[in-house]
Amino acid sequence: MSDIGVDRWVEESGDRHEQYSGWTAPARRLFDSIRPGWRLGGFVFLLALFPILAPQGTVRVGITALLLVMLALGLNVVVGWAGLLDLGYVAFYGFGAYFYAIVASDQLPAHWPSWIAIPVIVVATALLGALLSLPSRRLVGDYLAIMTLFFAQVFVELVRNFQRLPGISPDFDLTGGPNGITGVTPWSLFGFEFNTFNRNFYLLLALLVLLVVGLHNIDNSRTGRAWRALREDTLAAEHMTTPVNRLKMLAFAVGAAIAGLTGTIFASVQVGVFPNNFLLVFLITIYAALILGGIGSIPGAVVGAIVVAFAPELLRNPGTGSWLFYIGLVAILVGTLKKWSLVAGIVAGVAAFGFLVRQTALTIWDDSILGVANDTFVARIVDGWLLILGQHQDVVANYAFVLTVVGGLGVTVTKGWWRAVVAIPTIYLAILVWENKLALQPAVTRQLLFGGVLMVMMAVRPQGILGTRRVEIT
Amino acid sequence: MLLALALVAAACGDGGGGDTTTTSADDTTTTEGETPTTAGETTTTGGEPMVCEATVGFIGPVTGPVAFIGEVQLNWFNYALDTFNAEMSYSFQSVEGDNQFDTAQSATLAQQFLDNTAMVAAVGPAGSDQVDAAGAVYEAGDPNFTFISPSSTRSGITAQYTGMFRTVPTDDDQGPTTADFLVAQGAENVFMVDDQSSYSTGLADSVEENLTAASVTVTRESVAQDVTDFSALVGTIPDDTNFVYLPWQVAANGQIFANQMAEQGKEAVIFGSDGMDSDDFTQAGSYIAAFAPDIAAIEGSQSILEGYLAEYDDTNTFGPPVYAAARVIFEAIARVCEAGEVPDRANVQAEVRNTDQADSILGSPISFTDDGDLAEGQFFIFQIQEDGSKTLVP
Amino acid sequence: MENFLQQTVNGLTLGSVYALLALGYSMVYGVLKFLNFAHGEVYMFGAFAGYGVLTVLGGPSALMVPVWAAVALMFVASMAVASGIGLALERFAYRPLRNASRLAPLISAIGASFFLQAAALLLFSANSRSYEAPELIPIDTAMTVGPIDVWAVRILVIVTAVVLMILLTWWVQRSRVGKAVRAVSFDSEAAAMMGIDVDRVIVVTFLIGSALAGVGGVMVGLVFGRIFHLMGFVAGLKAFTAAVVGGIGSIPGAMLGGLLIGFAEAYTTAYISSTFQNLIVFALLITFLLIRPSGFLGRPELAKV
Repeated sequence: MSDIGVDRWVEESGDRHEQYSGWTAPARRLFDSIRPGWRLGGFVFLLALFPILAPQGTVRVGITALLLVMLALGLNVVVGWAGLLDLGYVAFYGFGAYFYAIVASDQLPAHWPSWIAIPVIVVATALLGALLSLPSRRLVGDYLAIMTLFFAQVFVELVRNFQRLPGISPDFDLTGGPNGITGVTPWSLFGFEFNTFNRNFYLLLALLVLLVVGLHNIDNSRTGRAWRALREDTLAAEHMTTPVNRLKMLAFAVGAAIAGLTGTIFASVQVGVFPNNFLLVFLITIYAALILGGIGSIPGAVVGAIVVAFAPELLRNPGTGSWLFYIGLVAILVGTLKKWSLVAGIVAGVAAFGFLVRQTALTIWDDSILGVANDTFVARIVDGWLLILGQHQDVVANYAFVLTVVGGLGVTVTKGWWRAVVAIPTIYLAILVWENKLALQPAVTRQLLFGGVLMVMMAVRPQGILGTRRVEIT
Repeated sequence: MLLALALVAAACGDGGGGDTTTTSADDTTTTEGETPTTAGETTTTGGEPMVCEATVGFIGPVTGPVAFIGEVQLNWFNYALDTFNAEMSYSFQSVEGDNQFDTAQSATLAQQFLDNTAMVAAVGPAGSDQVDAAGAVYEAGDPNFTFISPSSTRSGITAQYTGMFRTVPTDDDQGPTTADFLVAQGAENVFMVDDQSSYSTGLADSVEENLTAASVTVTRESVAQDVTDFSALVGTIPDDTNFVYLPWQVAANGQIFANQMAEQGKEAVIFGSDGMDSDDFTQAGSYIAAFAPDIAAIEGSQSILEGYLAEYDDTNTFGPPVYAAARVIFEAIARVCEAGEVPDRANVQAEVRNTDQADSILGSPISFTDDGDLAEGQFFIFQIQEDGSKTLVP
Repeated sequence: MENFLQQTVNGLTLGSVYALLALGYSMVYGVLKFLNFAHGEVYMFGAFAGYGVLTVLGGPSALMVPVWAAVALMFVASMAVASGIGLALERFAYRPLRNASRLAPLISAIGASFFLQAAALLLFSANSRSYEAPELIPIDTAMTVGPIDVWAVRILVIVTAVVLMILLTWWVQRSRVGKAVRAVSFDSEAAAMMGIDVDRVIVVTFLIGSALAGVGGVMVGLVFGRIFHLMGFVAGLKAFTAAVVGGIGSIPGAMLGGLLIGFAEAYTTAYISSTFQNLIVFALLITFLLIRPSGFLGRPELAKV
């Protein structure tokens, strides 16, 4: 028994367990008591029920989510474990997808059977990753990021304009140009064709399990520890004779291989590939998924990717979106105020403010400014209270939007009574903007909320949902 | 358009005699001798308004890199729905889907639409690669599902997907028309720039082929869509160029190009494709190919346009074909209802194939070939005047 | 020769805008060691602010004040709006993350970028707006430089950019606050121990960086004419590259990097190929980076073990 440092911390972990507090405590204790292997099994079992219970459209979303999960796991190896900022990851994905599309369609024509194509592509992508890691000997940090970014841009441009490269005859249409490649034959192993959504979903699930188990083992191996050393302090690791350059190459190669494999499945599911599938916006999505979930942690990558893939779908439907908005509003109030009396007070204040605004507006201008309420459940309820405008909806909503953002920021800086004073009009304005503008444009609202959630999430919990807090010593 | 409705109503009024049933003891009217109703009113033999329900979908790039296209398309779609429902006292529903100009989302949306059993048809997607992605899903899931693209112009894709139609002519029409016009105007050197999109390269290839066949020298360049400074490119335009051909999707970029040409003293005349037909491009003296004459100038379409502008702020060239496509679907559903059947995907598609509108918002008749292309797609060439108006060039 | 001069002017114009944007990136990186990915959106809002002022003043064809006053007001308004947004970002999105891992502020910046783009889409709709500069300052108001004519707007843009850069350099070298910025850039802990209020310095840095971006936005509107809600994304990327190539954290480096990229783009398009413009420019930059890994004027990072 030692009295200081890490050993003590480890010993006390048992006590900490008992000390879980708050309303999530029973769930967390239960979770901790299940062995990791069983946790994975349970998770997989739940997911396996998914295609049986959900409509095909949602299964398709599930496939997108699982693809994102695999990509996040791969990126986690490069960025989370080895600490290398790779902004070109999406190009490996594209490389795998295009390679598969070229060899499994009428493009060349070459119809390689899957059991040849897939290993070849995975190895090829890994080699590409190793190649890209070479500059990392000279470039560090942000400079490496730029170079990988360049690589991502190059890939898309090459694929889009392949026939125009000097030296390539315009008749040699390898990549299909801006039109992409269609008519890709799906994966087919041992005579079993993966041509329905359900089959692809289970395929991805199986691969996911293999990947998670494999990565977990790597994480606990010498290589994993070496990567951690590399990430924390490269120079120190080098001086401790860790083969830094080889490790970087390995990290890039493993990450690239995972991306390449995922790419082939993507091409197989979409039965086609197009240059616009691999733009920087998608890279940002992978990063967001990884970081939101908790960088460096495998379950984090999984959870983050699932959330990021499903959230926009949930917000597609204006009705669901409206529910989420109001529930979210209430949840924020309850979460920050903690005392029900305060919450009730604020709600009453908002209601009173709303009536006041409506009466004032109707007195100054008459009924003519009113418009028709939206078709959602909640909107119909608040129609009599909220000021839903007709003709000048757009302009007023714009100003209200700006004021809401300002007010929201103001709420975070004020304290005590002032906070309530600022919060009440802000909440009212938020509802006003929602019903008058945001609910009518679900597509834009999706993006708005996505960005807002990312910002708030990072401010409140920078380590992500399942990550561990890290302190960087610079 | 209204004429077509009147014809339909008349046909309905005359032909509805076959569905009297024994339960309608209290409906004493017979159909013979019933005068044709005026357009906009349809009644069944029983004298009650017909119940006709269906859901139609919309896929378009409402947000994302070409949001200005998707926004207008969605507005026109909603406008078509609202006006049709009002006219016929129906209550068709709609589901909108934003694909952000992305193929993966198009495929997801397509599957979601297929899952929605109440949905019989959809308008969209807008771009040819998204049509490929969505089309693959539709074809594998339910070839009876009709989808009409209001802006995909790549030749040949309608043949690949059973349920695909479109309300715009293809590159095969626009290319030769453009090339012939340029040759007729005495072009000897043409400078061509495409914007590396599927639409643009297809069109540019077609025009280049035709021009070279007519012994015109073509200099071909290309820029990415995200480039907004063309000064360097403009600087490379040879001085003896007669025409600059810009088959671009983003008309505002075309205006920048024109400004920079003026800046550097290049005197060639710009010829834009239908993507450049927009208020953003107003370079006097330039030509534009468009698949509809200025709809503000077509009598029947004027009121439609005014009604649209009263509700929504602005429009561009991508809007009216959406209206046309939506109307085709709605009217097909209406015809199914009037024949006494419940609309489902198969019979709606059959009716869409039978579409034979003598007139449309685009000023030309709408009917489809076996593959689904417009049977009589036409291209008109305009010249932009000093005050921004466009005059038709014969 | 004529063409070469023309392309040089083109490169100079483009380069000036990139330089202004890159300055914002570099300055913020210098004091915070953090890449502000939302910088492009700040620039975009600056451009829209200028457009707003132009519309309020009657639009390009019916101005209520003389042209020079309108342009000045547009610059001022864009600086104000851009700084406001920049300061809000700093205070609410980045300050809470000062001590977190390197990636958290990055994701917050990306979230801010999405949020601002969506806000612009909401407020301004998807249509691009145009300053219609040729009406404001007609194209024939050109000055003759040697064998070519240069449009007055381009001259305005280049001159303004140069003046601003000179002012900035002077300020950073001579004024107290400027010295504080340099100190914090060099070693923020030591600067804090010397009694410098690091928070204030960071606020000032964001203020100036964002103001410059706002000016850049108006300039782009004037020269190229088209502003839209996604313009910040691509411009931001290029400016970020410029800052890195010039040596991130270094103010003269950002200026140099911006100009370099502007010239590279112009000459590449003219003499090599416009199709692969982006590719070739990047390739040149990368090769250069491999030769000189910390950028042109960057300080090689000294790592202590």
